[in-house]
Amino acid sequence: MPANTVRLRIKRQAGPQAPPVWEEFEIPYRPHMNVIVALRDIAENPVTRDGRPTSTIAYEANCLEEVCGACAMVINGRARQACTALVDRLEQPISLEPLHRFPMIRDLQVDRSKLFNDLRRVKAWVPIDGTYALGSGPRQSPQDQEQAYPLSRCISCGNCLEVCPQYNTRTDYVGAAVINQVRLFNLHPTGKMHRAARLDALTGPGGIQECGYAENCVKACPKDIPLTDSIAAVNRQMVGHLWGKALGR
Amino acid sequence: MSTTATTPVPSGTFARHSYFWRRLHSLTGIVPLGAFLVEHFASNGAVLSRTPVESYGNTVKFLNSLPYVLVLEILLIWAPLAFHGIYGLWIAREATPNNRRYGWLGNWGYLFQRITGAIVLVFIVWHVWTARFAGVSLPDHPFLSYSKMAAQMLNPWILAWFLVGITLVSYHFSYGLYLFAAKWGITVSPGARRNWGWICLIIGLGFTYAGIASALAFRGIHIYPMR
Ligand code: HEM
Ligand code: SF4
Repeated sequence: MPANTVRLRIKRQAGPQAPPVWEEFEIPYRPHMNVIVALRDIAENPVTRDGRPTSTIAYEANCLEEVCGACAMVINGRARQACTALVDRLEQPISLEPLHRFPMIRDLQVDRSKLFNDLRRVKAWVPIDGTYALGSGPRQSPQDQEQAYPLSRCISCGNCLEVCPQYNTRTDYVGAAVINQVRLFNLHPTGKMHRAARLDALTGPGGIQECGYAENCVKACPKDIPLTDSIAAVNRQMVGHLWGKALGR
Repeated sequence: MSTTATTPVPSGTFARHSYFWRRLHSLTGIVPLGAFLVEHFASNGAVLSRTPVESYGNTVKFLNSLPYVLVLEILLIWAPLAFHGIYGLWIAREATPNNRRYGWLGNWGYLFQRITGAIVLVFIVWHVWTARFAGVSLPDHPFLSYSKMAAQMLNPWILAWFLVGITLVSYHFSYGLYLFAAKWGITVSPGARRNWGWICLIIGLGFTYAGIASALAFRGIHIYPMR
């Protein structure tokens, strides 16, 4: 293999029901290229390594700087963002697979709606809508700000869910990202007002009880969010919350 | 939003209250099951005596002399064991392990908790059957307990099976202590989990050693000094 080319093996699937097939590609090397650049180059000239023209590969990417979360996929067997997967640091042939815990759409594109629906289920926002201006809210202490900032870096990429052995259709588990958001918004001075509703939502089907504490999420998170701390912290809130509900606060 | 929005939500009473059942499962692993394990390993230490037939017999006699012993057994052992064991298998069925891809320590702990739980269930059912219900009735003849157990231990295969059961139950319980602390929000910081993890490891090794010491003592092998 000439050193100035890059080899990739890509798992392709024409649709949710179609059988998966692997296709191999060999494209010119560019200095500092990442996996997204490789996918774009293949899109310009979708021909496999053995010279067979093929369909363009479906994939998602947007910001190219690990902020949008869209380009999560399994690269050389590990869930990560394609934009920060630098070809220079990857063993070749580089294998690309879609995240497999989400419904497949096509090729490397999956449907992450479950994540967004679960964020909605736990009210992962600060409630501010009303009929008149309420003025400014209470201030957040610097200590809480310091705790909140790392939690707020989540880009909803789904890597933590992809590596979680409990994240499947049997459990309907919401996953680490969603629990982390509950911790984040329960920390917010105005967000706190929905604290009880968020915690109640997490006791429902697929709630925090489905966590088996394999601690994979924290290893896979590209934003270094302390997810296992967040799960334990929300577990602590839950114990207090439920005792309060059962016995009175 | 697209059409394949959510996966179907499990319904039914059990699913709707799964937080409660899960935490009850977690709790039963500690009390009463873990507490019983402490008692059981400690009582079996009676075999380390220089007069094991009497010491062991006296321990069995004492335990069977407790008031309401059958009620205690049912409420503190059989019911929680059946619940924890059967629900534990149910939980294990929900797992989709990915250890070959992600070989991190916690991920192996997750898988082993499920595998050891299943093996321990088989071991305990067998152990209860052969020690308690089959053969000579120990509540009626407590001073035959030593010879009944020693007869089992003389068979090298049964001894090996005991060593496996002891090791796995010690593992399952001590790693369960680690999990429990996280699931009840006790160990929130990584440092707290690391320290607690070491303590759990020591507890697990202690249980393994104590259990093996008792099992071997039935064969006259003493890895712990006789009293
Ligand atoms: C009888 C067969 C058993 C089975 C099938 C079983 C199964 C399981 C499973 C699957 C878990 C993981 C739960 C989770 O992560 O959500 C677990 C946790 C645990 N088990 Fe067992 N187990 C058994 C017996 C025992 C026994 C005899 C003990 C005590 C000596 C025990 C103590 C624990 C503890 C302390 C936990 C941790 C609870 C937690 O995760 O919060 N188990 N068990
Ligand atoms: S918590 Fe981390 S891994 Fe999970 S979705 Fe957010 S950024 Fe991605």
